[in-house]
Amino acid sequence: MLCKRCVLPENKPYIYLNEEGVCNICLDFDRRRSKENAALLEFELIKVLEKYKGKGKYDCLVMCSGGKDSTSSLYFIKKRYRLNPLAFTFDNGFESEGAIANVRNAVEKLKVDWLYFKSDFMQEMFSEVIKTKSKFSLCPLCSLWYIQLTYQVATQYDLALIISGWTQGQLTSPVLTKRFGSGLQPERMSCILQPESEFLLLCEQIPPFIDVMRKKYKKYSDFPKSMNDIKKKYRISKKAMILSPHWFLPYDPKEYVELIKNELGWKKIEFSYPAESTNCYLNVLGSYLSMQAYGFTHFHVEMSKLVRLGKLSRQEALDKLDLDINIEPGPSIIMSVLKKLGCAKGDL
Amino acid sequence: MNILGISCFYHDSAACLLKGGKLVCAAQEERFNREKYSEAFPVKAANFCLQAADLTSYDIDYIGFYEKPFLKLSRVLLDHLRAFPFSWKSFLNTMPLWLEDRLILPLKIHKELCYSGETLFIKHHLSHAASAFLPSPFEEAAIVTVDGIGEWATTAYGFGRGNDIKIIKEVLYPHSLGLFYAILTTYLGFNVFEGEGKVMGLSAYGKPKYMDEFKELIMVKSDGSYKLNLKYLSLNRESRMFNKRFEKKLGKARNPEDKIEERHCDIAATLQKVLEDNLILIAKNVYKETKMDKLCLAGGVFLNCVANSRIIEETPFKEVFIQPAAGDNGGAIGVALYINNTLMREPRIYAMNHAYLGPAFSADHIKRVILNHNLEFLEFKNDELSDYVADKLSRNKIIAWFQGSMEFGPRALGNRSILATPCNANMRDILNSKVKNREYFRPFAPAVLEENAQEFFEIKCASPYMLLAPKVKKDKINLIPAVTHVDETARLQTVSKCFNPKFWHLIKAFQKITGIPVLLNTSFNLKGEPIVCSPEDAIKSFQRSNIDYLVMDNFVVRNSGDF
Repeated sequence: MLCKRCVLPENKPYIYLNEEGVCNICLDFDRRRSKENAALLEFELIKVLEKYKGKGKYDCLVMCSGGKDSTSSLYFIKKRYRLNPLAFTFDNGFESEGAIANVRNAVEKLKVDWLYFKSDFMQEMFSEVIKTKSKFSLCPLCSLWYIQLTYQVATQYDLALIISGWTQGQLTSPVLTKRFGSGLQPERMSCILQPESEFLLLCEQIPPFIDVMRKKYKKYSDFPKSMNDIKKKYRISKKAMILSPHWFLPYDPKEYVELIKNELGWKKIEFSYPAESTNCYLNVLGSYLSMQAYGFTHFHVEMSKLVRLGKLSRQEALDKLDLDINIEPGPSIIMSVLKKLGCAKGDL
Repeated sequence: MNILGISCFYHDSAACLLKGGKLVCAAQEERFNREKYSEAFPVKAANFCLQAADLTSYDIDYIGFYEKPFLKLSRVLLDHLRAFPFSWKSFLNTMPLWLEDRLILPLKIHKELCYSGETLFIKHHLSHAASAFLPSPFEEAAIVTVDGIGEWATTAYGFGRGNDIKIIKEVLYPHSLGLFYAILTTYLGFNVFEGEGKVMGLSAYGKPKYMDEFKELIMVKSDGSYKLNLKYLSLNRESRMFNKRFEKKLGKARNPEDKIEERHCDIAATLQKVLEDNLILIAKNVYKETKMDKLCLAGGVFLNCVANSRIIEETPFKEVFIQPAAGDNGGAIGVALYINNTLMREPRIYAMNHAYLGPAFSADHIKRVILNHNLEFLEFKNDELSDYVADKLSRNKIIAWFQGSMEFGPRALGNRSILATPCNANMRDILNSKVKNREYFRPFAPAVLEENAQEFFEIKCASPYMLLAPKVKKDKINLIPAVTHVDETARLQTVSKCFNPKFWHLIKAFQKITGIPVLLNTSFNLKGEPIVCSPEDAIKSFQRSNIDYLVMDNFVVRNSGDF
């Protein structure tokens, strides 16, 4: 049974519904929201951006996957806020050609330098998740590597500011958004950045799994177990912070999709889960596994939060999430991902 | 050229944006921070203005501030010195505010708005004058500005011609008509800012029996110049601005919880008459001096719609433009236009035809908010909506009407309004018990189709901003009892099809059912709160009230009862 307000299913003890059918996450959110003013002002973002402008060859690193949110972030950083960014794309081997073409178009049109990093480093780990039928979502696991890598690149280029395309619904550890001297008050961010217990549920099996992987594969010997691990290792709060323009802007995705279509020739990719996203193909398999294991995905978490924040209606969220992975081209994509990972349908 | 106009630190903080010479948006900070009459630096209003115009701080060419802080401080310091040692407490309370931000405004602006360009300051009354003349349709016009206090000036008059404004004469603090009205407002037991309107309403219940006493309190010359008798005042000395001598003259001051007696009504009536007579003298004198037949008015005192009507009726001016945001909020518009037209010599291409300059929300957004609150709703097409809502209104239902861009200025003009039938004599009581909880002596305003205004009201011009209070025609009083004040006047809004078609169509639909082209229109807010801004605010207020239906865009939500 789904919460009547958001799109999360009951999953005790993490997610439970009250008599009116509203989940504890929504009720928690209301309690926090009533105390805090969640609306962030664009001036707050500009203040931070100004601190990092003109300090070196580049002003910031922009994580750009080719999706609408990160492409528009790159556009805003370059055009709206007049920074000189370095774009960075991470490809775990499963990015679609369409997504990469979107980034290529964007960086060419915006005249932005671009680092494109593609690697099958994680392949064994992904494969192991499937073969051992481990109960967790693939995306949070991949994110650990992705975030660690991003910090490595930022450190290498001496960039203290990392820009993402994360929506207000995309959960992130509050530690990532802090940096001493940035001027951004952490309490102003707390409402949208509070980690939710339902997301932790999707990740709780990751640390023991990493322990196993560290022993089994030498190349994973220092693979982080959590964002806190990355924080400690890279002393994140001293080095760089991650911010997204979308936390500060009131625009509806429809508006910025039109903008990047017109300005950057951005195109929607053929198939991605959830509907109207531009996520990698591994994500289709990851979502399938997450639904099997928990009855929801990290996208349900994100969209539930967007519903709570009034950025999306529940029905809009349901419509996006109801994209059936079991209908073509979903199964073909899953099969091709499995094949690439050396797995078979029977491993699922 | 992009110019951000700002007014703040006293009351009604606001920001507006002038883009290419046109005023594209304006809003008061109170609507965002939900503090009525907020004096806070308008960072949220500025954030709205820039985003609405799809600009950032980097795109602003100038920021204009509506007064000169150092000049104002000189008055504050001298005023405190004069009243020393009685003023020390007030001094200690006031000074930190000045040091904190008012004296370092460019730094404050840089810090809050990340703006590193030039900030220009113009005098308070010049801002008012600019807000009245520059967006008016007149090539040349006389100008009068009257408020509580600016820097030193409290009243100013002069004229505007083309892009220029000339102030001929000023009345300086402590002599102030606005302040005088405010002092009497507190004497009558009401709060400053919100109480002046109440005193105006109360005045209709009394008779001006205290003219002799008032002649002692304020000395008015035939040219309209005036002086307050400081013997009766205690400015900056005590918590109240009048002294015991004042009470000896007019009787004991009323406490807010005290019953309103006939004496209070008579004092209010006298005050109102003194104000009106004085403003008429000033206007006549300005006419004599300028020989111009058009008049522009601004400053908080010109929110007094009863006085405005008399100025129109009893002075030789042929046309009058009153800035709808006549208070300090309008100063933001004034300074922005002054920079653009007068200092930068850009042509005057903007004429203020409406006050719908605030945030607007898409149908998608509104629907989403309704859905996320798990509210049942109906969705209509435009013409069907008017018929449906008009039918409900004709059945004595109260409607919260939330449409398009929020109004700039203190009045709800049909986009953030509570509407009801004007035909039911009990509607005032029903509204007060269900929603507004206002004093019995405060009238509710009518909104009339522009083309039917003269049929129902003694009026020769449009009153689009609810700033005039004409008499209701004798034969119509019984038809619209809920909006006819005890003195048979009404605070009128004329609604034009051109500038608010949706509201116009609704009134038209009501006319089809009832034969009456008038609706009762009061602001969509609960007592003590600012007018709602967003759909979220609207739902919050709606759910805490007994309003029957909330109409946002073409969606209808009910509180109780049937759809």
